Amino acid sequence: MTAIKPILLAEDNPRDAELAMAAMEEQQIADKVVLCHDGAEVLDYLYCRGQFTSRLKGNPAVVFLDLKMPKVNGLEVLRAIKSDATLRPIPVVMLTSSREERDLSESYSLGANAYVVKPVEFHQFVSAVKELGMFWGVINEPPPERSGSGH
Amino acid sequence: MTRDFQSESSTPTASATTSQPQLPHTRTREPESLLVSTSALRREPLWRSPILWFRTLTIERRILAGFGLVFVGILIISTVSYRNTSIVVANSKLDTRSHELVRLLAGIDVTMDEAENNHRRYLVTGESLYLDAYWNVVEQKPKFLQYLANLTEGSPEQQQRIDRLEHLIDRQLAAEAAAIDQLVSHGFQAVKQLALEGAAKEELRDIHRLIAEMEMSEQQALQRRIMVSASTTTRTITLLGIGAVLQLVLLAAVYYLIRHDITERRRVAAELQRRGELLEAANKELESFSYSVSHDLRAPLRHIDGYASLLRKAVTESLNEKAARYLQTISDSAKQMGQLIDDLLVFSRMGRQEMLRTTVNLDQLVKTVLYDLRLDLQGREISWTIEQLPEVPGDPAMLRQVFMNLIANAVKFTSTRPIAKIEIGIDRRLPREIVLFVRDNGVGFDMQYAGKLFGVFQRLHRADEFEGTGIGLANVRRIVHRHGGRTWAEGEPDKGATFYVALPTRRPRT
Repeated sequence: MTAIKPILLAEDNPRDAELAMAAMEEQQIADKVVLCHDGAEVLDYLYCRGQFTSRLKGNPAVVFLDLKMPKVNGLEVLRAIKSDATLRPIPVVMLTSSREERDLSESYSLGANAYVVKPVEFHQFVSAVKELGMFWGVINEPPPERSGSGH
Repeated sequence: MTRDFQSESSTPTASATTSQPQLPHTRTREPESLLVSTSALRREPLWRSPILWFRTLTIERRILAGFGLVFVGILIISTVSYRNTSIVVANSKLDTRSHELVRLLAGIDVTMDEAENNHRRYLVTGESLYLDAYWNVVEQKPKFLQYLANLTEGSPEQQQRIDRLEHLIDRQLAAEAAAIDQLVSHGFQAVKQLALEGAAKEELRDIHRLIAEMEMSEQQALQRRIMVSASTTTRTITLLGIGAVLQLVLLAAVYYLIRHDITERRRVAAELQRRGELLEAANKELESFSYSVSHDLRAPLRHIDGYASLLRKAVTESLNEKAARYLQTISDSAKQMGQLIDDLLVFSRMGRQEMLRTTVNLDQLVKTVLYDLRLDLQGREISWTIEQLPEVPGDPAMLRQVFMNLIANAVKFTSTRPIAKIEIGIDRRLPREIVLFVRDNGVGFDMQYAGKLFGVFQRLHRADEFEGTGIGLANVRRIVHRHGGRTWAEGEPDKGATFYVALPTRRPRT
């Protein structure tokens, strides 16, 4: 069941997105990744509206959130997810350039499951994204869905 | 006058008058007014000097001086009023005594008169009942006199008169006693003449005169005292009035003179608050600036390195050595800039970050630093000399950064030595501060550049000699300054360097 759960990557910067996808490709999990270009798209995906109206139901295995995004920023998306009972179990990993204490503490207090600073060095970035994708998308057992679990 | 005038001749008016000697009239008159006006111009009027003195004082001293003056004024007024009132009270007591004295004297006058008249009647009739008045005087005399002496205490003039009065009374009584004796022994004929004229006629007349004199004197004293009391009372009232006005004027003057300071202080406080707000705004701005630096500047660097790597991978077959080196340089530069940004952010955070105030065990701290540096120490031969270090007040994370930088520097700059020597210890321990040092036998530096060592991005070695961004020692200095301490360094090219950190042994305020 877990294998078909997608990885939601929210990244407004196309270069960062491309680099991240390159890393995912190396790990052969690129086909699982759904890319959103801003916070609004993430929420559209999660609530199955807009361009995602006809997508397969069910929560993603994990959401990788950038902090700085147009329209709805990462912290706002995080707040929306963690204050919705159906969405709250989704693991959310902040993936950002910011090492500021303020962002760290705010993210964790809103309920982020992890906080990863994007390394400047590409090799480190690739290995970080690979490890994250592997861990959260494959190794980690996602929470059971209330509607889809069949119990 | 003329000499004075000539001494003042430097003023234009004076020289104008000397050039008109044909007017002696104006010559003699003018200098006077001239003198007055020039002296008024030349120095401050005398009454201003206390004000000038007052202006040199601090506000606390001004208030103290002002209230001191008011207090002294009140003290003087109170003392004088008390003294005056005491005089009036004492005078009224004396007045009562004077009235008593006058009454007593009148009584004595009548009694003596009665004694003489009844004595004459006795001489004529031989009826001893008439002698009652006489015996009464004999009996009462010491009491009268004692009373008189009491009432005239403090007035020697009156007491002399009392002595004379006693003498006269004694003489009257003696004359009357002699007449009585004569009547008893020789019969009426012997005293007939005395009975007609009165036995002590002259003495009685003298007594009347003396008593009149005493009364007059006492009345005069009474009058004098009334006048004194009246004028004293008037003076007291005037003094109180003038005193009250003076105190008010003084208080008003003090207020006037400190008013400036008070408004000035208020203005300064407002200004200080305004600047504080500006500073806070600037700090916030700086924070958001470093935030965006940390976030936005890092992304393109990541892209440069990332795409360089992707490019290398894509063209790896056709890449010659030169092109591979170019790609490597692009990656290295991006990494280096990333490191610079990180270091700069740490440096900026060090200045803003809240300081923890606790006690730091430097021994423990150096041990953890050495543990953290273990990877850099691999493959190195270093002889360590580490003294027992004390506990100091400060922020553990910040002080850790200090020793991390100093020790890492020592390790780095001794990398060219076959056997590196690094020494960490206490240079001296003073009551107020403790001076610690980190010494190495590394490449050292020229003392000429000692001032540049602790500057941001200041490096004394080429990048290809020793790597680094040149921010470590700037951080050290910033942290030590925030702890209220000092930093300096000594060195010699190729002989090694010693870095000193002086930390206060007591917690710095704020």
